[in-house]
Amino acid sequence: MAEENITFALPDLGEGLVEATVLEWQVAVGETVERNAPLVEVETTKSAVVIPSPKEGRIVELHADEDQVVPVGDPLVTFAVRAEDAPQAGIVGRVPDEEPRPARRVRLKPPTD
Amino acid sequence: MSTNPADGVTTRYVDLRPQTPGGGVPVLLLHGFGTDFGMNWRAAGWTQALETAGLRVIGPDLRGHGTSDKPADSSFYLPEHFVADLLSVLDESGVDEVDAVGYSMGSRLAWELALTAPERVRRVVLGGFGPKNAFAGTDLSDPGSGDTPFDLVFRTVAALPGNDPAALAACARGQASRPFSDEPPLTGFPVLLAAGARDPLAEGAAALAERCGGTHVEIPKRDHANAVSSKVFRQAVLDFLAD
Repeated sequence: MAEENITFALPDLGEGLVEATVLEWQVAVGETVERNAPLVEVETTKSAVVIPSPKEGRIVELHADEDQVVPVGDPLVTFAVRAEDAPQAGIVGRVPDEEPRPARRVRLKPPTD
Repeated sequence: MSTNPADGVTTRYVDLRPQTPGGGVPVLLLHGFGTDFGMNWRAAGWTQALETAGLRVIGPDLRGHGTSDKPADSSFYLPEHFVADLLSVLDESGVDEVDAVGYSMGSRLAWELALTAPERVRRVVLGGFGPKNAFAGTDLSDPGSGDTPFDLVFRTVAALPGNDPAALAACARGQASRPFSDEPPLTGFPVLLAAGARDPLAEGAAALAERCGGTHVEIPKRDHANAVSSKVFRQAVLDFLAD
């Protein structure tokens, strides 16, 4: 079965948060994870959160170590998914490497009031 | 869903039924001070884990928190008010018996619920909790102004969107007016205490577990804020509720 690699970025966790610290990976490279199964536990200045896996797939690469601070929008994990499951258009939001990210950051500035 | 017991303060809650029920008793999840069900439990991976285990979850936003009413008068926040809310939630959900799982202030309330209505509680989990006075050294006329562990908690949660600092201060004063006592201890229930190894608010948890004839699990490297999402904590609770 053909596989395709998809990279998942740290999502917007809301409330003006711009980064999170990786507490503990719930998966390891080489493991297969189901969609919605626990993927990674992160902590923001406000709370600790378990991010569920957006995909079913095999973990190819973890882009952050535990205790590392990751900006929102930066790569978190790369999955190998079956090619037929790979999104063709923005359902999960495949992020091509060449595409700049800063548009999201602007929106994520904390409110000034 | 919501319930509105005698004093007119509405408590809103969720009742999550698993797709494949596993036959266990429902789990009542009681969040900590200044958070709510969604933030303390759902976002921290608990609803997903309990759903997978086939367990029904009853999850209130405690009064003063989340989607529930937030009176700004401390006389609305005595432990017995919270217990009355919880019993009302259970009655309305048609649930006779629950496993009560608390974190921080929610643990104190799980303890009070078990003492008040032992027939409604099967097992008790006290997370991020110890017998020490959580408000020690805090000026409760102006919580958040000092440097005690509770001041730090207050400052963090008072800034969260949707929180009402006046209601939270009233809640703290109401709770503090009835200091926690481990006398009588919780006996007659299986009790699990679990807390981060670096959680100052859980000091004495191991001794309290012993006093209750229960079990204590220390969550390595975690503090009060980040123990709740730990896989070690979730797994300890799932094991404790399952056997």
